Amino acid sequence: MVRSGPDGWGSQSGTEWPGQSDWERMAGEVRADGKKGEMQDMGKRSWKRRPYLPYIAPAMTIMTVLTVFPTIFLYVISLTDYQLGWDLSRVRFVGVENYLRLFSGGDPDFWNAVRISLLFMVVTTAVEMVFGFMIGKLLSETEFKLKPLVFAVLIIPIVMTPSIAGNIWKLMLNAEYGIVNYFFQLAGLERVAWLDADRAFSSVVLADIWQWTPFVALISYAGLCSLPSDQYEAAKIDGGNGFQLFTYITLPSLRPLIFLTMIFRTIDSLKIYDMPFVLTQGGPGNSTEFLSLHIYRLANAQNGLIGRAAANAIILMVISTVISKVLIHYQRKEEEL
Amino acid sequence: MTRKQKRILTGTWKTLVLTAVCLFFIAPYLWMVLISLKPKVDIFDPGKFIFTPTLQNYTSIIKNAHILDYFANSMIVSVISTAVSLAIGSVAAYGFARFNWKKREDMAFMVLSQRMLPAMAVVIPYFLMAMVSGLLDTRLILIVCYLLFNIPFTILMMRGFFEDIPMEIEEAGKIDGCSGFQVFKELILPLSLPGLTATAIFCLINSWNEFVFANFLTSIRAKTVPTSVMLFLSVSGTKWGEMAATGVLASLPAIIFGITVQKYMIRGLTFGAVKG
Repeated sequence: MVRSGPDGWGSQSGTEWPGQSDWERMAGEVRADGKKGEMQDMGKRSWKRRPYLPYIAPAMTIMTVLTVFPTIFLYVISLTDYQLGWDLSRVRFVGVENYLRLFSGGDPDFWNAVRISLLFMVVTTAVEMVFGFMIGKLLSETEFKLKPLVFAVLIIPIVMTPSIAGNIWKLMLNAEYGIVNYFFQLAGLERVAWLDADRAFSSVVLADIWQWTPFVALISYAGLCSLPSDQYEAAKIDGGNGFQLFTYITLPSLRPLIFLTMIFRTIDSLKIYDMPFVLTQGGPGNSTEFLSLHIYRLANAQNGLIGRAAANAIILMVISTVISKVLIHYQRKEEEL
Repeated sequence: MTRKQKRILTGTWKTLVLTAVCLFFIAPYLWMVLISLKPKVDIFDPGKFIFTPTLQNYTSIIKNAHILDYFANSMIVSVISTAVSLAIGSVAAYGFARFNWKKREDMAFMVLSQRMLPAMAVVIPYFLMAMVSGLLDTRLILIVCYLLFNIPFTILMMRGFFEDIPMEIEEAGKIDGCSGFQVFKELILPLSLPGLTATAIFCLINSWNEFVFANFLTSIRAKTVPTSVMLFLSVSGTKWGEMAATGVLASLPAIIFGITVQKYMIRGLTFGAVKG
């Protein structure tokens, strides 16, 4: 059920390309009027060798233009001391000064941002994977009429605009008139200042768990439902108990799927921006200033330290690229097993 | 305990857990709907569940907050960006699905890695380029930026749908004298209409909810709905009622769309990698 890379569906597509003759005809027509024909001839040959090119070229060109140039530009900016509103004549190349500042502790908020971003990534991914899988398992084991309703409920957090969800959480977690504290009081507990410096991080974690656990739940449900039942029956005949069935059959067969879900969750929680931006604005202090919020704070209109923000952005890009490369490398290995 | 009792017990236990789970996931949404219908005086009294519902929050945002302009911006940006992505992306997806070449999977991986790129990292160069070219705070710059995630999404999603179409259909088309592109246009596209619709809906939802680019690149004229909720935070306190009303209106299309494409939800959420 997970696409199996180079030889999964690919083997289906033959080398012969349905439209070959068409290109030949076109090339032939143009060739009739002289010089142009030679160029078309070359074009024809490269098309013949790479028939996929006319299909993918437009999209690939646009994507390259949209990502490669901005990325190169970002590297260049990160080597300057550019600030918002400066004349271009004032901008100096400062070499790796922006990076040195980050690593030498000249920007203490940076290390804090790296630390809490990674912590957030690990905590939310772990909790969401475990809870999501449990919900998926529970759903796959039970049959009841209202199941479509449960799925509808699970879809709501995923598709709800994160900035709006963040605002609602902010209202619900409000210390004085939030509904959460209201229920705490009803239960005879103390009011909790959910968004103060000690708990703001956990509150963002809570909101993220609320939004993305259903994602894991839906995928695990689909995976669990797709498992063939004959293996289980054979194992039961051999006297395997529920726990053994789970560890020896369910987990191994779902490993690539679980891994893939984990990759998505890891990268997305590392990139988190809108939820904390709305819920805590990175505060109080720097307690929820994740890397992307730190970049925003440096670069926004009040500070305008574009050069330094760019260096930070490069670091964020490098971290997420390294993590996704490593994870995807293992994913591919898993699939080859 | 007899076996029957045990079964009933686990049944009740499961029902309880599932109910709790559902309540947890729906509660913020229900709370938002409730707040949006509450009269202003009752909002700061969370325990008051019985009140006369009012639409004053809705009328107030429509009259005062230019919210309709933001909805129009969101709509225009999402629809155009989705349409362009579908046109360019589905052609590329067909290339990935039907031809085999040495570097194909590496290229597909490159497409996927766009999904991993943090928006916050690329937004700074976009901001500067938009500033220089005078495109800051226009819908055009948002449309271009949203292509960044919509095109890769379309390629990976549609690739899966095209691969599900049997090769024989294409061969039949070829025998009937269709050219390569004709086969794609006349045969394959109509057959993959459900896939196209699902892909379009996911693109719309993602563009509709996008926050990083919208927050950085727009301020007044091209403001979209997700960033407009920040307007309700002011020094005199947050206008929760208006905020919630905007939230209800803004999340409604996403949720309706989301539930309509339920069948393809898993495919969409994993960028086509899992055919749930």
